[in-house]
Amino acid sequence: MPTAIVTQLNGRIVHVRLVSSDSTDTTMPVEALEANAPMAAVEGEAHTEDKGPSPIAPEGKELIWGGGSFVVLLVLMRLVLFPKVKKGIETRYGNIRNNIDGATNVRADARTDVAAYESALVDVRAEASRRVDEARRTLDAERQVAITAVTARIAARKAEVDASNAAVRAAASADVSIAIASVATTATQIAVGRAPDAAVVSRAVEESLQLSGGQR
Amino acid sequence: MFGLDFPPINEVIRWRDAFGNLNKIGMIAVLASGIAILIFLLASRYNANEAPKGVRNLAEMLVEFIEENIVMQTIGKDGLGWTPFLLSLFIFIYLCNLPGIIPIMQMPATGRMAIPLFLSVIVWVVYNAVGIKHQGFIGYFKGIMFPPGVPKPIYLLLTPIELVSTIIVRPFSLAIRLFANMLAGHMLLVTFALLSAAMFEAQTKKFLLVPMGILPMGMLIFLTVFEVLVGFLQAYIFTILTAVYIGGARHPEH
Amino acid sequence: MEALVQVSRLVSELNAADAKAANAAIGAGFAYGLAAIGPGVGIGFVVGKAIEAMARQPESAGMVRTTMFLGIAFTEALALIGFVVFILLGL
Repeated sequence: MPTAIVTQLNGRIVHVRLVSSDSTDTTMPVEALEANAPMAAVEGEAHTEDKGPSPIAPEGKELIWGGGSFVVLLVLMRLVLFPKVKKGIETRYGNIRNNIDGATNVRADARTDVAAYESALVDVRAEASRRVDEARRTLDAERQVAITAVTARIAARKAEVDASNAAVRAAASADVSIAIASVATTATQIAVGRAPDAAVVSRAVEESLQLSGGQR
Repeated sequence: MFGLDFPPINEVIRWRDAFGNLNKIGMIAVLASGIAILIFLLASRYNANEAPKGVRNLAEMLVEFIEENIVMQTIGKDGLGWTPFLLSLFIFIYLCNLPGIIPIMQMPATGRMAIPLFLSVIVWVVYNAVGIKHQGFIGYFKGIMFPPGVPKPIYLLLTPIELVSTIIVRPFSLAIRLFANMLAGHMLLVTFALLSAAMFEAQTKKFLLVPMGILPMGMLIFLTVFEVLVGFLQAYIFTILTAVYIGGARHPEH
Repeated sequence: MEALVQVSRLVSELNAADAKAANAAIGAGFAYGLAAIGPGVGIGFVVGKAIEAMARQPESAGMVRTTMFLGIAFTEALALIGFVVFILLGL
């Protein structure tokens, strides 16, 4: 026959055990209950203490420690730590801003330098091209002069050569007309038996030469 | 279920007192505060003119995050004086959330009600004080209870709702949002850790249960990564809501 | 004999307490499950609309993201109240 052994503490059930007590007699459980009561009560007390805190209710000690440490952090942060870090950030930002301003100034200076350099470069280029033009012009003039001189010389030389050619040709044609006259006189003398008039022969030779020269 | 004996929540979050009445939650809070102070102390010792590096970079990143992503977006330029308060809130909450995923510690300090409640009470005091200072006592409550641009009969319904939501619901929702998110995340991690432990140590059907223990293990790793995000997000949301409340108290809706 | 009667009364009380605990556990499960439906839909809606807005105007993404987190925070509060009720009922 199973028997329940129930332990009570302050009117609340704290422990129940079912015992199948075939070997013991029926009056045993009540006595066992009486006998076990103090021990069970101790067990029960230990159990209620072990149950742990309520998961929702805030605990005083945690409130004190947690709150205290937060308040310490808050006060230190407000009075000491944050201003220091913030000051550091602002100093550095100020420096960076100054540096940026400085860099901007340097860049502007560099820009003006570059502009000056470029204008100087333009001047120098203009000067250089002017000089080159001038040199070219001088060179052209000199060349012109030289060409003129050379042309004149060539013309003179040509005239000279022409003159000498004409002289030679005149001499040659005189020689030729004398030879022809002599040949014609001789031929006529042989044919006719009498020497022709020199003036007539020379006129005929002149005319024939003129004729052939005109044909040429 | 699978012979898995899941402990009640009370036992998961029960921590013994170590020194006096300083338990794990208190220790994490003290540690969070100490680490935050240390970071900023170290940061403030660097030469400010050099490019920031290491701890100083971290501190300046935090300051600029708060200024640009929280203060400028909610209060505006004239609210920059609130940066140290919001900064402390953010760092403290984040460092209290973070131990939830750090091995050995494995408990977010904000997973207990005490710290969120304390912080939200401070926020409540601050934004009400700011409202009263900037708009006067009567003006502030008039602004809360009778928002302009609403037909008169609606006030019958709107006034109590607005009053309750601003004075009572706001701080509680602020506290409960943080607390419940972190506790829920912690319970998820506990669940999957216990499940994978139980499967790896299974006594029956070992050939099936032990390899299958990989699944909750993978889920545990994924959730741990997820909790990193949640911890950051909750700190951010707490801080930005604080900023929104302060901004609302400074400039009433016209 | 009287002792046995007392024991059986205690056992029935115990069963009643068990039944209460079981009902509370079921209630807690429903509390969280039902509380998660609305916020789940709501957060999805908020984030979806926010993404739409960001895709339409990427230049205002920062402002949209901040507002999105605020919206999520307010919507999520309902689910978290459900979670707290879940813990309270599970006690």
